[in-house]
Amino acid sequence: MAKRFVTTKVEVEGREETKVVELPTREPEPWGDDASLHIVGRRDKRMDALEKVRGEAEYTADVQLPGMLYVALKRAGVAAGRITSLDLGPALALPGVRGALTTEDVQGIKLDGVQLFDQTIHYAGQPIVAICADTLEIAERALREIRVEVEPRPHAIDAAAALAPDAPRVKPHGNTHRASPRIVSRGDLEAGLREADVTITREYRTPVALHTALEPHGAVAAWSGERVTVWESTQGIFNTRADLAEAFELPLSSVRVVKNYMGGGFGAKNGASFAAYTAVALSRKLHRPVRCIFDREGEQTDAGNRTATTQRVTLAARRDGTLTAISLDATIPLGIGGWLSSPARMYSEMYRCANVRTSETFVFTNTAPMASFRAPGNVEGAFGLESAMDVLARELEIDPLELRRRNYADHDQDKDRRYSAKHLDECYRLGAERFGWSRARSRKRDADARVRRGVGMASLCWGAGGGPPAYATVRINGDGSIEVLTGAQDLGTGARTVMAQIAAEVLGAKLEDVRTVLGDTERLPFASNSWGSITTASVGPAVRVAAEEARDALFEAAAGMLDAEPGDLESRDGEIHAKSNDKCLLIREVCEKLGDVMIIGQGSRGPNPEKTALSAFGAQFAEVEVDTWTGRVRVLRIVSAHDSGRIVNPTLAESQLEGGIIQGVGYALFEERVLDARTGLPLNPTMHDYKIPTVADVPKIDAFFIDIPDTVANHTGVKGVAEPPIIPTAPAIANAVLDAIGVEMAEIPLTPWRVLGG
Amino acid sequence: MRLIVNGASHEVAAPDHERLLTTLRERLHLTGTKLVCGRGECGACTVLLDGAPAYSCLTLTAACDGREVATIEGLAHDGTLHSVQRAFIDHDALQCGFCTPGQILAAVALLERQPHPTEDDVRRGMSGNLCRCGAYPKIVRAVLAAAEGESHDG
Repeated sequence: MAKRFVTTKVEVEGREETKVVELPTREPEPWGDDASLHIVGRRDKRMDALEKVRGEAEYTADVQLPGMLYVALKRAGVAAGRITSLDLGPALALPGVRGALTTEDVQGIKLDGVQLFDQTIHYAGQPIVAICADTLEIAERALREIRVEVEPRPHAIDAAAALAPDAPRVKPHGNTHRASPRIVSRGDLEAGLREADVTITREYRTPVALHTALEPHGAVAAWSGERVTVWESTQGIFNTRADLAEAFELPLSSVRVVKNYMGGGFGAKNGASFAAYTAVALSRKLHRPVRCIFDREGEQTDAGNRTATTQRVTLAARRDGTLTAISLDATIPLGIGGWLSSPARMYSEMYRCANVRTSETFVFTNTAPMASFRAPGNVEGAFGLESAMDVLARELEIDPLELRRRNYADHDQDKDRRYSAKHLDECYRLGAERFGWSRARSRKRDADARVRRGVGMASLCWGAGGGPPAYATVRINGDGSIEVLTGAQDLGTGARTVMAQIAAEVLGAKLEDVRTVLGDTERLPFASNSWGSITTASVGPAVRVAAEEARDALFEAAAGMLDAEPGDLESRDGEIHAKSNDKCLLIREVCEKLGDVMIIGQGSRGPNPEKTALSAFGAQFAEVEVDTWTGRVRVLRIVSAHDSGRIVNPTLAESQLEGGIIQGVGYALFEERVLDARTGLPLNPTMHDYKIPTVADVPKIDAFFIDIPDTVANHTGVKGVAEPPIIPTAPAIANAVLDAIGVEMAEIPLTPWRVLGG
Repeated sequence: MRLIVNGASHEVAAPDHERLLTTLRERLHLTGTKLVCGRGECGACTVLLDGAPAYSCLTLTAACDGREVATIEGLAHDGTLHSVQRAFIDHDALQCGFCTPGQILAAVALLERQPHPTEDDVRRGMSGNLCRCGAYPKIVRAVLAAAEGESHDG
């Protein structure tokens, strides 16, 4: 008998993990190029748009329960120190205040390695006490009555300060993560450098960027007996459930996590949030439903961020452009905690090169912990690598696109394995064509003009193949309406819609008869976090299998009614048709005859192919205008060509591309968390001072897909689309600025003073 | 104090310092109007006050006595969507949807002022409403399409 449980590799956010997987009941034939599909690939409208345009979509912040109490958080006003006294008496005495939460109430519960409400202050903005009251206004007023004395201590808010010989201790065991330096190498770097005709070395810096999701982190918790229900704005309901069950020592079945809609995640909402722990603990303590939602300042201060990086890069090449050596020395300040997101991946994967050495030093600082942020690591790494590639191209006098083509990587060199599919060459070709690359490159530059134009480009790779485990159930009701049930999340990506499209395709149902139900751990089968651009490629195949199982049962039931064999039936547009005798019945009619028989199909995601890298690729081209008097950079247009396998819904996928590119424009031009160098306090924790792009900043965008199914990756042929588009935007823009004014941009964002300062 | 919200009259006992956003969300349970920045920086809480756009986070309820407030919940009439709502669906002018009520009301107000805007008018007119998902290109398209549709109807 074949083995039922096997292991497989799954890549998420640049990290590859080994997962146990239960082999699905069936492994359908891949939907190849020639598959006859009618609903998959169609530009259907977003299925939850109606609720959203009517203001009826229920977000966590909209949950209102009878007797619900509100929480306000007191946050530390120094970057390091120790609380020497805390007197809550006057605050608790205010009418309407119902209680407080301090570190004693949540002993042993840590987030990013920090004890909740710790009496030791590790960063400015760290919560030190929660007040719970009848209204938010009362809770906020009570914060001002808290009497707290803090003994400040020396702090280190950036890598240089934390690595200095006399640096204060940020963490008891030292200021660098124990994995530092993380060195990965292949070939012989020294030999590669000797082989080269041209060598360039540069240093690049990227800023701390803030997710700035419009819906802040937040949760509502309500206990009933020994069980708790938690509404949380999260990208992972099952991760959140596991975190809370562990912290409060409950069986998983006693924690129900619900998330219908969320107002953006972008990587910062991957498990139980500070707000969730707080709401659950206070609700247990006060026997009332409790709501804890971060205010905007809290969200911009202490809700995750993209790490800053310093990247010292050496590229060496032969005269013909062949790369002979790539070296990276990177310093990555994490804040007080987080995980090791890797800028090095871009350097080792993007281009063919035999001799590569990357070194990453991860530093703890007295700042809020980092979190995944849309393509963590590759976004930062792409800025360094792709900027350096253009410097090299200028040294060699080779067209930047041509230099990249000459160093095309045809397999995953790090792990010496094949790609399931790679059509980056097509992205280069079509992207350049639609952009008019050669024409734009050969245009005469006016070196005397005040406002100068330039063009630049950059490439991307991203492990977006997804994988198991993921489960789905398809139910067909007595009236022929169909439900797809899976514990995945729709962050605004369109997951609800594409899952319904896959099920409708298999069942031959009308899309409007299919509804996707997401976001409830108590009622839905497991799916992993919606992160790493993996949801469609992970959950889609499970939905396909579940729908096939349901379709087979439906056909068996219909066969007798149509005087035909099940194998003789086909379905389309909600109608089942017997090929032999041309008899037809609507799916609805079959179901009505079945009465309360509920047809249920179960599906799961099978393992990934062995010794194969599953990656999405793309190339982006930018044209900018630089005002040499003011230093202002304006992005005029961006063309972005993507290889993400099959596209289930081009309209929704293009929305993802546009969104990623626009966030990339913000990262390139405006976005930067600024801390006061002396105190470590954030100086721009508002949406006015932390600049995200407005509609007026958006260039003309032409973003499209090659749309070739990757039948090796999984049987739907799909790979992820959400993160890839943000990866090359900043370097494409910086390279266009270099082209326009002949000045290398070593640091983003490209604010006027940086452009003028060169 | 009396508020006329989406055509219905409400007696509210809001204290003098309460903002309209709080009154709508917490007293009238109209949660379609969103709190994002709370200080007039993002436009998510946009409502129409006597037909003109207003940031409800910066508007005192006490200043709205007897005035007409329109929120996203009241925009569709007898189950028929407003042309701007329809256009947002048709052009996929939203992703997570959190900024959408504010975007739609800002667009409705813009088209009231300027029934035939150019693309530049839309970009200028909508630049007070932030969207982190980056639905902007499609928001512009949706607003222009709604304007186009209305001129055909008229």
